[in-house]
Amino acid sequence: MLKINNIYKNFGKLEVLKGVSTEITDGEVVSIIGASGSGKSTLLRCMNLLETPTFGEVWMDGKLLTPVDPYLHPEVIAVSNTYKKLVAEGMSDSDAIAKIKAEDLLNEKFSTAEGKEYKKAIKKIYDENHLDINIARQKMGMVFQQFNLFNNKSVKENIMLAPVKTGMEKINAAKRHNAWVSFTNLFKKDKAPLTPITETKKSLIEKAEAKAMSLLKRIGLEEKANVYPSTLSGGQKQRIAIVRALAMDPEVILFDEPTSALDPEMIGEVLDLMKQLANEGMTMVIVTHEMGFAREVSNRVLFVDEGYIKEESAPDELFKNPKDARLKDFLSKVL
Amino acid sequence: MYIITMFEDMGKIFVKYWDLFLIEGLSATILLSLMTVVLGTVFGSLLALIKIGKLKPLKWLVNAVVEVIRGTPMLLQLYISTFLIPVLIPAMNELENKKLLCISFTLVLNSAAYVSEIIRSGIEAVDKGQTEAARSLGLNGTTTMTQIVLPQAVKNILPALGNEFITVIKETSLASTFFIGELMTQYHVIVGKTHNSLPILMIIGIIYFILNFVLSKALGFFERRMKARA
Repeated sequence: MLKINNIYKNFGKLEVLKGVSTEITDGEVVSIIGASGSGKSTLLRCMNLLETPTFGEVWMDGKLLTPVDPYLHPEVIAVSNTYKKLVAEGMSDSDAIAKIKAEDLLNEKFSTAEGKEYKKAIKKIYDENHLDINIARQKMGMVFQQFNLFNNKSVKENIMLAPVKTGMEKINAAKRHNAWVSFTNLFKKDKAPLTPITETKKSLIEKAEAKAMSLLKRIGLEEKANVYPSTLSGGQKQRIAIVRALAMDPEVILFDEPTSALDPEMIGEVLDLMKQLANEGMTMVIVTHEMGFAREVSNRVLFVDEGYIKEESAPDELFKNPKDARLKDFLSKVL
Repeated sequence: MYIITMFEDMGKIFVKYWDLFLIEGLSATILLSLMTVVLGTVFGSLLALIKIGKLKPLKWLVNAVVEVIRGTPMLLQLYISTFLIPVLIPAMNELENKKLLCISFTLVLNSAAYVSEIIRSGIEAVDKGQTEAARSLGLNGTTTMTQIVLPQAVKNILPALGNEFITVIKETSLASTFFIGELMTQYHVIVGKTHNSLPILMIIGIIYFILNFVLSKALGFFERRMKARA
């Protein structure tokens, strides 16, 4: 469902992630734990490209979201000039690829030093696999530590905005497509079919509104539909942020420390809602400091430290039998 | 005793020349500053968009122009433009009101430079989390800007824009150096007839003060209402 492959992230000279790979399967609940500044939030934000990884690839449902990272594709390295040079010098194929990978020998993205074939190979992979990030994010919800409800919209508008706007984009794209098709049809014998447009702006809004109200009903905040976020408590804001993500029918929701900015008495209501989602089979990736919660709901826990995934296993295993020394140290401090 | 005669003179002069003060001078000042602020806001928005945009060379150019405008006196800019623009665009010499055009151009450019800073900082003051939340839902950059960022930025921008309007009203007085008919120009006109400076200056001062005081109170009122609604 979501696959991250050898992600590196540098902020200037600071290396936050140093080669992280993992795969999140359908219906899985994955918790990411680790000390502050270990890179766990950055890892989560790399998944929906709020941070662009410096190297590495992110795949969702077999579609590529990032640019192509040549080091992850031996067939791309094999057509590069650097590789050809090494092989001409008498190195074996696999050795040459290993050497290029290990020593970062490929030239910069924008130079033509690696030859046309290399550029073509990269373009081919990109064209075949890439998916527009805005489309991908529509299926990848995110919940933030600071809630980030839209201050200039009422609660209901907060929930309705994305479904209506992205729906309108689709309708407009279909209309543009149809206009082009009917124009080209003028010059063709066998007419190409038009894309049927079933939705209108009105039906979109009605649908989104009904959905928003049912989601609000679910969290017991129907009476807050028309108020502005500034009047709500932290717990209410965060639950609304969660249903705002749900309104897009996401395949996965990323939680970035959803309870860290909450007063203690409000943490429970947010965790309860998240538990419900987990039980319903929603795929979730949760960066959290709530160890008890991580242990209870996750299928798998990742311990991130110094930019690596130091340990990953089922929660019982990880909390009872930590193997990594840093994890032992970390758990002794937080548990 | 002089003060009392001055007040008497103020009264006499105002009664005699009220149309020069209020109809010619004040309306010219208001029209000139209104045009400056409106056009300045339009061009300032464009400059601000360039500043927060991604086109590096254009950004440098705009920043350089803005810095030059902010770093030199307005009066100097007015002088330079009235001499320089007709040289650069010879066709201007045939126009009747080329001086007014040159001065309007300078005022607008000046205002645009300041307004672009106001708008840029207003947009950047909107919490980054708002943009991130919108983008994380799959909205594109344009929708995020028009639906989320700009409506919130306007609340930061409008009060500062009102202050800019007041500043511009005062700055248009510099244009009197070139006799273009606004309030301060009327001083030169009337003093030529009465040879009595101080009462005229006092009258003009009072008109400027009332205009700006009313405006700033009105802006304060709108500001409070906007805050109450948020």
